[in-house]
Amino acid sequence: MKSTTIAALAIFGLLVFLLLMLPPVAKRQMQAALLQLISPIQRTSASIQERLGGVEGGLKRLDQLDQENQRLRLENEQLRTANALLKNLETEVNRLNRALGFQQQSSFRLAPARIISRNTATWWNTCTIDHGKRDGIATDMAVVTEAGLVGKVTTVSDDSSIVLLLSDESLRVSVSIEGTQEQGIISGTRASSNYAPDLRIRFLSKTAAIKPGMKVLTTGTGGVFPAGVTVGAVKDFAVKELEGVATVEPAVDLANVQDVFVIKGQK
Amino acid sequence: MIRFFFVLVVLIFLSFLFQLFLPPILFLKGASVLIAPAIFFYGCLAFPFPFFLALTFVTGLLNDLFVVPQAVPQIDFPIGTSILIYLIPGLVMHGTRSFFLRYQWGTHFWLAELAAVLTPFLLLAQYAVLSFERGEAFFSDVILWWIFGPGLISIVIAPCVFFILTPLSHLLRYRPGLRGNATA
Repeated sequence: MKSTTIAALAIFGLLVFLLLMLPPVAKRQMQAALLQLISPIQRTSASIQERLGGVEGGLKRLDQLDQENQRLRLENEQLRTANALLKNLETEVNRLNRALGFQQQSSFRLAPARIISRNTATWWNTCTIDHGKRDGIATDMAVVTEAGLVGKVTTVSDDSSIVLLLSDESLRVSVSIEGTQEQGIISGTRASSNYAPDLRIRFLSKTAAIKPGMKVLTTGTGGVFPAGVTVGAVKDFAVKELEGVATVEPAVDLANVQDVFVIKGQK
Repeated sequence: MIRFFFVLVVLIFLSFLFQLFLPPILFLKGASVLIAPAIFFYGCLAFPFPFFLALTFVTGLLNDLFVVPQAVPQIDFPIGTSILIYLIPGLVMHGTRSFFLRYQWGTHFWLAELAAVLTPFLLLAQYAVLSFERGEAFFSDVILWWIFGPGLISIVIAPCVFFILTPLSHLLRYRPGLRGNATA
């Protein structure tokens, strides 16, 4: 074996070892730097796609009216989302107040954002939104729409962020089923995509009285997702050897959702 | 050679970027279109061993930075893993370099098809790592399509990539295996 080959192998091995040993924070920073680099391209592409979509729709408006319309639509969705969250929160608070005497929780601060890219990598379901550190976005913030839960922020650059979607197997959320005392963990499966989401709730009791159509809500356990956010509706319930497993239809159309809100905290 | 190496690195970067905007092929059960592996496999054939290793490092790193979410605490596929995944089929491809250096279009075509055949290995290996980390392995028709579908698509894509990159390397005055290339 040539000395250059041995030297190249040694350097390669060392670099791979060092990279794998890097702490997760450093790896996130690397990913954030790449995200920052490609963010302008993603924004431009999203803008072109939006304009092309407008042409396909057949209706052309003045720029000013269009912007006004966009702003009002966004504001309307924001209010609807806040309203839905408050309703869910109210139910949760009432339940907690009645049962445990918990203090009343406050409402949420929502940051509107737009999806600028959908990552179609085979085993992971993520998207990129057009808000980042400059807009006060941080990792592990929940992302929602007026319809329900979308996912959580994993990597943040200055101007954009990566959102891990609910359909991804690695995103696990503690949920409860409305009208029952049942709680479980919901996640996507490895065969789940935004186009064909396959969400399962595991760790349910085998004797649970769960019927199709029942609403699935977050419990708030873990601190990432606030309690009472709609996740979806039960499609099917099956009893396995050790647990009950429910299949869930997500509340949000993950393949087509455009506008989302990042929950920045409580007011 | 160095110039062509950096051109390939840029092309791999751009192809990863382009892949972000390509929707999955729904009639292939959502299989992805992968262009970057075809460019990488061409690099495996075109460059001598040290450059092949450098290209493997860059491609694997870019792959993970572009597609793998780093959601703490559930990081089950750390950034850098794909370097090792790309290394194995890359070595197979590099092993056939002597055929590539014959400069026959027919041979290049079959090597491009070999690249297409090796593409599913990348997805299979990623799936194996995820299955190991998550403690559960199962196969369904969707998963099989996701693993082998990109290979089917690459049967068409890889020859096109190869037949574009060969004239490009000549344009940059790089003809692999010939003297004087190291300074080009």
